[in-house]
Order: sequence, then structure tokens, then C-alpha cells
Amino acid sequence: MERRTDLRKNLFYYSIFIPAFAVIIFLTIYPVFSVLYMSFFKYKYLFDIKVFIGFKNFVRIIKDSLFQTSLFNTLIFSAVATIAEVTLGLFLALLFYGRFPGKRVFLIMAVFPMMISTMVVCAVWRTLYHFDFGLLNYILKTSGLKSVGWLINPNIALFSIILVDIWQWTPFAFIIIQAGLNSISKEIFEAASIDGAGYFNTLISITLPILSKQILLVFLLRTIDTFRIFSKVYALTQGGPGNSTETVSYYIYRQGFTYFNLGRATTASIYVLLVISVISVFYIRNIMREEA
Amino acid sequence: MKKAFSLSLILLFLIIPLFICAVGQQEKGPVKLTFIGRDAVYGDAIDIAISEYVKLNPQVSIENLELPYASQYEKVVIDMKGAVGTYDLILIDDPAATQFQRAGWLANLDELLKKRGEKLDPDLISTAVKLGRYPYADDGTLYGLPHIGNVELFVYRKDLFQKYGLSKPEKWDDVLAAAKKIQAGEKDVYGVVFRGVKGNPITSTSLPLFWAFGANVLDSKGRPALDTPEARNAWEFFLKLKDYAPEGVAAYNSAQVKDALYSGRAAMAIEVWPGWVPGLNDPSKSAVVGKAEVTTHPGQVKKSSPMLGIWLIGIPEASKNHEEALDFLLFLTGKETQIKIAEIGLPPTRESVFMEPGLIKKFPWYPVQVAAMKNGVGRPRTTQWKELEDIYGAYLQLVLIGKMTPADALKEANSKMKEVLE
Repeated sequence: MERRTDLRKNLFYYSIFIPAFAVIIFLTIYPVFSVLYMSFFKYKYLFDIKVFIGFKNFVRIIKDSLFQTSLFNTLIFSAVATIAEVTLGLFLALLFYGRFPGKRVFLIMAVFPMMISTMVVCAVWRTLYHFDFGLLNYILKTSGLKSVGWLINPNIALFSIILVDIWQWTPFAFIIIQAGLNSISKEIFEAASIDGAGYFNTLISITLPILSKQILLVFLLRTIDTFRIFSKVYALTQGGPGNSTETVSYYIYRQGFTYFNLGRATTASIYVLLVISVISVFYIRNIMREEA
Repeated sequence: MKKAFSLSLILLFLIIPLFICAVGQQEKGPVKLTFIGRDAVYGDAIDIAISEYVKLNPQVSIENLELPYASQYEKVVIDMKGAVGTYDLILIDDPAATQFQRAGWLANLDELLKKRGEKLDPDLISTAVKLGRYPYADDGTLYGLPHIGNVELFVYRKDLFQKYGLSKPEKWDDVLAAAKKIQAGEKDVYGVVFRGVKGNPITSTSLPLFWAFGANVLDSKGRPALDTPEARNAWEFFLKLKDYAPEGVAAYNSAQVKDALYSGRAAMAIEVWPGWVPGLNDPSKSAVVGKAEVTTHPGQVKKSSPMLGIWLIGIPEASKNHEEALDFLLFLTGKETQIKIAEIGLPPTRESVFMEPGLIKKFPWYPVQVAAMKNGVGRPRTTQWKELEDIYGAYLQLVLIGKMTPADALKEANSKMKEVLE
């Protein structure tokens, strides 16, 4: 009798998960399998060409020099932008900790870039970066320095886009880390102070270990987001000069929505999914380990 | 009784078909057409036509969807591929037409015109009309009518040319020589300016030069033809021009080219679209009013080869309003509407409109423009131009920024194109 009641109870619990599970299957699992399925075809949507070619797309794409460059650029972008954003976000969070006059105004100003549309941000930065008329080169020229080809020098262009991303998304890291910082009981800091710990000792031995979960979370979210970088490249350089700012998302966009080569676009997407999964597993394992 | 019954039965059989005919001949109810086109001035042109058309045809309403290039293309492709029939008229950039025509997504305009008892007006410039035909031949089936007659022009500063004793460049060699001479003599003036952004901009800017050097992107059989001496000569020459262009030319797009031209910082622009020309003589925008001469491109081993960039309008096969859409299309490409569109600065596609005295007074370069249109060259008629254009544009920019030599870049671009076309 008791067993039957347990079964009923369990059935009830499982059944209330069904709608959510159905949504996940429909919106996440099905598209992933569909993309995986398509990646095995030479699929030219415009011409109704759909031929099974096995792993040929995977081989061709990995051999494609443009994809290799795109992947390399994406990894550089993701690593540099994420590290810079989290470091600056942490620095700002520490700076804004405690009470001081004008803190609210500073906070609003600090989060402002994140609230602006990416296209607007790019339009502003494109003007700032302009080789002939941009403010940055104007400042350099009036200081007696040479103009910099922010968006036209293939060795600099990617870092110029990274700078825009840092400007826009550091506030995100700052908000999350600051929330974590504010949640630490002040008594801990007081106790450390009574025990004679200095600011840097407290920071290294108390603050950072307690904040590590938030920091890892920001690292995870920013890595995933920067790995999918598209709009800034589209608006600022369109992958140029040369292929110096080509990224994987831009490559997929062009294959999928300009050429409608769905086979190649889906294969490149699978590669991105694999890389993001590996990175996510690494971060999540670390977060879980800390929880355990 | 029997007789009366038979009589009423006969009457009934007579009345029913008459009634059906009468209903069939009744005017159709209100019709809603949907036009999907471009934003900015292209959208304004359609709005002007719509406001005139609905005055004459109050039973028709037309929605004009104005979108940026990339999203308009995406929406059109997805809709036509699925034969959804959301759009009744679509604006098509001429290189994309081949793809749509081959896939059978567009209605046969020859047949629709025949049904209507009309023929194509010969006033429409034939080079532009041909781009709407498939196969690409004078007798190919018509799938689109030319709406905007864009053609690349060449601009040089006649005051500077006079100052240095130079005459109008007839060959590309003259362009290089003039650029060298003027840049050496003028402190803040660059010899040439052009669009150097990868993809479409640099491709469009360089094709008249490429063709004039006897090179082609595809050969007569549709195979990539970049790995040739002619193509190498053309790209090597383009690289020489770079020495007389602004330092950041690899990032120059239309805005920067116009700016260099209007501010007087460039002696020549090797690619100027008709829409940019009015600004040259507008004192509020230009520092070179009356000093810039608009002309056709120079030749080299071949004659002048200006690039055509025609915007066609087609009717999707899936549209449910073919007849009404054709009626509006004929109105749009009619002389009166073309004059109105020309007045806002968009190039027409009818020869007679280029001859209008009022328009010639306003746009004195019209005779040059119509000559360029008649001699204009269309981009290769292939279903995969977008991909080929990106390859061409990416490799030429690599040459421009010094990352590859012309010979290596052309070789690699050629093999990439082969891969796309296989």
C-alpha cells in the first residue's frame, strides 16, 4: 500500500516535469540533433541539393584556412576579452566596495555601456576609431604621435574590437562580483582586521576565495558570450582587413545566411558547440568541486 | 403544367451561366500588394510611386517593406524558397537575379505581358533589361524589369588636370601617371581614392579595371579564370594605384570615398555611383563645386568597362496577385514615375528620361551616365556570385594590405572559387 502511494507520488512529481522537459526537447535537444544531422550533408538550400557526404564537411572545414583563421581569432578574442573584463570587473568591484560620496552616480555611469545597444556602441566606436577623423587619432596627432590604423591595420583591428567589448561588458563582471562582495559578512573582515591582517592579506586569503564562485561564473558566462562574437565584427570590420577579424560566428553567418550552404554552416556550428561544451564542463566542474 | 415546368427549367439553365458570368465579370474586391525592397532613398522612390498609383487605383493598397540589404535578401530567399507568397513584388540586386531565375522562383514576365496584350517598351535600356533575362541573352525569358539604373562612373578634378597639363584619362596608365604627378605637386591631395573594404566594396571598385585589362572572373564556360596573366596585370596595377591612395584606404567605404572627394582631398575617384554625384556640386557638402568632371572609365587592353549595378523588380511565382503586381510594376518602370524617381537622385533605366531637358539641367552628367549604361558590363551571371565576390574581395584586400602577392592571391582565390563551383 505504502509502495503504491510512493509510486503515485513519484509519478506526480515526474508528470509535473513533463511540460518543461518537452520544451527542452523541442527547443534544445531537437535543434542540436537536427544541426548534427544536417552537418553530414552537402546541403545547398537555394538549389535543393542535399547529398549525404558523411564526415567530408568536418574534414573540409577544419582544412579551410578561413575557418582556421576564424577559430584562432575567436580563441584570441575570447581569452583576451574575458580575462580583461573579469580582471577589470573585479578591480572595479573592490574599488566600489564600502560607502563614499557620489557612489550611486559612479555606479550608474559604470553600468551605462552595458545598457546601450551593441550597434549603437559600434557606431560610436567606429567614429572614434576613424583613421582620418577619429578622436583617438586626433589626440595622437595633436600629441605629436603617428595615427594608428585602429580598424585598418590587420595587426591591431582584432584588439580594437576587443577593446570595444571590454568597454561594453566589464560592467557585467563588475555587477556580479560586486553582488558577491556585498554578500560577504562584514564580521569576517572585522575579525581579520582584529587578527592584524592587512588589506592585501585579507584580499588574497579571504575575499578572493569567497568570491571565487562568482568569479568563475563570470568567467563562464563571458567566455561563452565572447566565443559567439558576431555583431561587433559585423558592424566594425566585416571580418577585415584581410581575414584579421574573421570569427567563427561570422563564418557561420556567411555560410548559412549569405550563401545558404547549410551543410557547412551546421558543421561549423558543431565545432563551436564542442569547444563551448569543453570550456563549460571545465568551469562547471570547478564550480561543482567547490560546492562539494 | 408540364410545359410550364419544362420552360422554367430551360430558363433556369440559361440564367445560371449568365449569373456566373456576371459574377465573374464583377470588379475584384480590394487588393493588397506587398513590396519588399531596400531602405533609405530606394524606399522613398517606392513610396513616391505608391502614393501616385493608389490615387489612380483606389481598390489597391500597397505595403512597402524597407529593409537593409542583407536582411531583405534573407527574407526574400526564405519566402520564395518556401513558396509562401508573402511578397508580390521584390527588389533584386542584379547579380542575385540569376539565382532566383534558375530556381524558378520568379514569374515569367513575357507571359504576363502577353496575357495583358502588351510588349516590353524598347525605351528601357537594353543592357539593363538583359540582366533581368534568363538565360542571359537578348532573347532570354524576362523575369525582372530594371527599376534603378546604377552604373559606375569615374570622376577627376578638371582644375588639377588643367594645372598639371593633363588630359582626360583614356587609359588606366593615364590614371596612374596623373595620380603620380598630382600627388607630387599637391600637398594635401591624394592621387586616387576608392573603396578598399573587403567583399563587395573592393570587388565593385576594381572590376572596371579588371575587365579593362582583359581579365574575367569566370571564363565563357563558367569556370574560374583568375589565374591568368591578364588578371595578374590588373591586380598588380591596382596595387600600384594604392601608392597614391589615402593610407587607410583598406577601410574606405562609400562614406570615406565621398568625403575625400567632396573635401577635395582626392584628385580622382575610380568608382563613383550616380547617387554620389549631386553632392559634388552642392556647396553645402562640397569644396570642389564645378571642379569635378564626371566621365566613363578608362580602357586599357579592352575598352571602357563600367560596372552595372541594376536594381530589378520581379514578381515571385508564389504571389497570388500576378496581374495586379504587373500593373504596379509597369507603373513603377513607366516614364512618369521614372522622372519622379530621377528627381530625387536615383538613376532611371529609360533612355528618354535621360534626355529630359529638365533633368539634364539638374544632372548635367546624364549624357555620360547613359553612355556608361549602354556600354556597361554586368557582373558574372552565376548562381553563386555572392560567394565568388567574397572570395575575390577578400584576396584582393589581402593584396592591398600587403599580406599576399597578386600572383599568389589570384592562384588561391581561383582554387577557392573552383571549390565553390564544384
